[in-house]
Amino acid sequence: MASEESLTALRQRLGLDRSLPAQYLDFVGSALSGDWGESMVTGRPVVTEIMTVLPWTIELTAVSLLLGAAAGIPLGVWAAVNRNRAVDYAVRVASLLGLSFPAFVSAVILLLAFAIQLRWFPVISARSGSVGAWFQSITLPALSLGLIMAAYITRVTRSAMLEVLSEDYVRTARAKGVRWPVVVRRHALRNALLPIITVVGLFLGIQIGNSVLTEIVFNRPGLGKLIVGALNQRDYTMLQGMMVIYTLIVVFVNMLTDIAYGLADPRVKLQ
Amino acid sequence: MKRSAFSAAIAFSMLAAPAVAQEPKRDLVVATSQADAGRLDPHLASAGADKGGLNWVFNALVRIKPGETSPEFIEPDLAESWTSSADGTEWTFTLRQGVQCHGGYGEFTAEDAVYSIRRAASKETSAFSGDFAVFDKVEAPDPYTVKVTLKNPIPSLLGLLSNYHGGLMVCGKAAEKLGADFAKHPIGTGPFEFVEYLPQQYIKLKANTAYFRGTPQLDTVTYRYIPSDATRDLAFQSGEVDMIFGRQNNQWVERTLAVPGAVVVGMEPAELNALYLNKTVKPLDHIRVRQAIAHAIDRKLMVAFTGDKVAREAISVVPDGNLGVVNAGLLPHDPEKAKALLAEAGYPDGITLKTIQSSLPVLLKIMETLQAELKKSNITLDMQVVDHPTYMADIRKDLSQVTLYQAARFPVADVYLTQFFHSRSTVNTPGGVVNFSHCDVADAEIDAAKRELDPAKQKELWKIAQEKIVADVCAVPFSEQLVVWAWNGALDLGYDLQGSLNLVPQLTEQTHFTK
Repeated sequence: MASEESLTALRQRLGLDRSLPAQYLDFVGSALSGDWGESMVTGRPVVTEIMTVLPWTIELTAVSLLLGAAAGIPLGVWAAVNRNRAVDYAVRVASLLGLSFPAFVSAVILLLAFAIQLRWFPVISARSGSVGAWFQSITLPALSLGLIMAAYITRVTRSAMLEVLSEDYVRTARAKGVRWPVVVRRHALRNALLPIITVVGLFLGIQIGNSVLTEIVFNRPGLGKLIVGALNQRDYTMLQGMMVIYTLIVVFVNMLTDIAYGLADPRVKLQ
Repeated sequence: MKRSAFSAAIAFSMLAAPAVAQEPKRDLVVATSQADAGRLDPHLASAGADKGGLNWVFNALVRIKPGETSPEFIEPDLAESWTSSADGTEWTFTLRQGVQCHGGYGEFTAEDAVYSIRRAASKETSAFSGDFAVFDKVEAPDPYTVKVTLKNPIPSLLGLLSNYHGGLMVCGKAAEKLGADFAKHPIGTGPFEFVEYLPQQYIKLKANTAYFRGTPQLDTVTYRYIPSDATRDLAFQSGEVDMIFGRQNNQWVERTLAVPGAVVVGMEPAELNALYLNKTVKPLDHIRVRQAIAHAIDRKLMVAFTGDKVAREAISVVPDGNLGVVNAGLLPHDPEKAKALLAEAGYPDGITLKTIQSSLPVLLKIMETLQAELKKSNITLDMQVVDHPTYMADIRKDLSQVTLYQAARFPVADVYLTQFFHSRSTVNTPGGVVNFSHCDVADAEIDAAKRELDPAKQKELWKIAQEKIVADVCAVPFSEQLVVWAWNGALDLGYDLQGSLNLVPQLTEQTHFTK
């Protein structure tokens, strides 16, 4: 146990002897100038530690979002236009399974199948260099996260499409003799995009949380591994920085969602 | 040193893979369970995995022979010889000539050694400064002589200056030039030199071609951080990793041995599992209650629970394999006697004890087994399960009546006895360490052994201390767990591995692949 003298010196050095408002103002002032303190475990600057791994998390989330959207939107549309048929049931069951499967289970199954049995991809997913190496490194983790995203987007797209397909203007378009694929693509899907964008925006935050497990199982650098390490070691300065960065990410994603509204629906304009 | 058949390293199997006519590999990949590197400075590194990796980069004045853990195996390292005064307070080391620091920082001389010892002794630059409090003066009378003067003799000065904790030698010029960046770019004199660190991924080392014991046979070593047990296992199976930190259970050992060519080794130093009983609180202040707890625990069962391939029965309050350990006569398993003792102590209906317990699965499972075992003797453990950092903090605040603790220390009985059973080390007091039980029955013997220069008399004092502590039941030791590693059978460490003080196998200039 440290002596009272050492504790006093440490409190003075860290500014803990000052009032809470003064400490908070100090923190905000330093944070605004890019000084988020140093990790209590490694002694390295918090900003450096976060910025080194942030691109890995953004890359994983972005690629899994693309995969999820590329698979989820067509499947959702397909299920909606075939409502209550075998295809619809199959897609609904598959998407339910996708949502129910914990990320770490699908990750281990993917590793066993593609890294151990088939040997197509490495177990340690942290390669850089050539495009081939990047592709090898990103595929399995992005697939693991993308499957959940795809399942979620499929269900949201199906539900939004069903609502739009029952609107009068869809019936009118069909009555006018517009071809069914055109009705689905231009009249229905375009109008169903807004709720899809909303939930994707919300889910992106959850997906960053899911990336914690994915990063650990695929041994990929990222915010997830950083926050788990900081929690285990009670690295308060690092955790403080992580809270700030997660908040900034959520704000940024919300902003992107708002911009996407404007792109999807011309009636939504920034004033 | 006593070494039971079990305490020797256990090489479980080695299934030879078919021979292939090609050049042996020269790049080794090792995976640890740590999530990321901590401080890559030998005097600040506190995590086991960091210390293990830094041991491949740094030397010390003396070293424990690779593969061994006992100070009995101390041999020359940067110092080729040494002498000490009759009273054990003055030590003179003669250094090897021509040892080169990594990165072109020049020859390692006595000035570097003095700088390093002073750095290790300073609170500002070292996590091990307390170990060096007994140092009075460190001088360099000439470039190849280091003179150490102690305030009083200590049981193992050579242990302090060995390749463990603060004993590792840094190159002064590099440490001065790099300042705080030294922890990002460690410069030593060891067989491997630091190349790069990629956060959350690995540190890479390359062979030090100017190494004084000869050029290493490996070209590079990549030390990967893989915290997920499953991923580490899969990476080993797929051949992406050659050596992995293992799990301490029989199932893991058996499963890993099924990987073609895998070698699994349980190595020293074993960690002692013990329940520490706070003697100052009711009902544990009654000796019969403490004896009842000791009689209630079945050591054989606790070993079987973890697995006999990775654990063994405790024999004393100090881990087996430590210099000075004796079979201290732990009380036998006897639940009926336990109940009778409780009744004699005035608790015929049994007792309830409060304990703060870590949620770490490896510790929690042990405690749950103990809880079930104690219940058979009417002893109820009321567990408050908290996250591991909270557990570590709370038990040091003296908040737990009963504390389960798992530890290994530098294997000289003095260290364990002082930290766990000397009244100076009582938790929640100035200078407190890990004396959770408030034990003080062997203070005189522990202190006398520190001053004793005759090794035989010193061992006798440690023996008496252990017997007194066992008789007073300050703690109930029950099992010891070995550190488990697995590697590709084509890897030859270059020595016979019994253990490694830093809990990571030592890599030397002799380590190589046979295919």
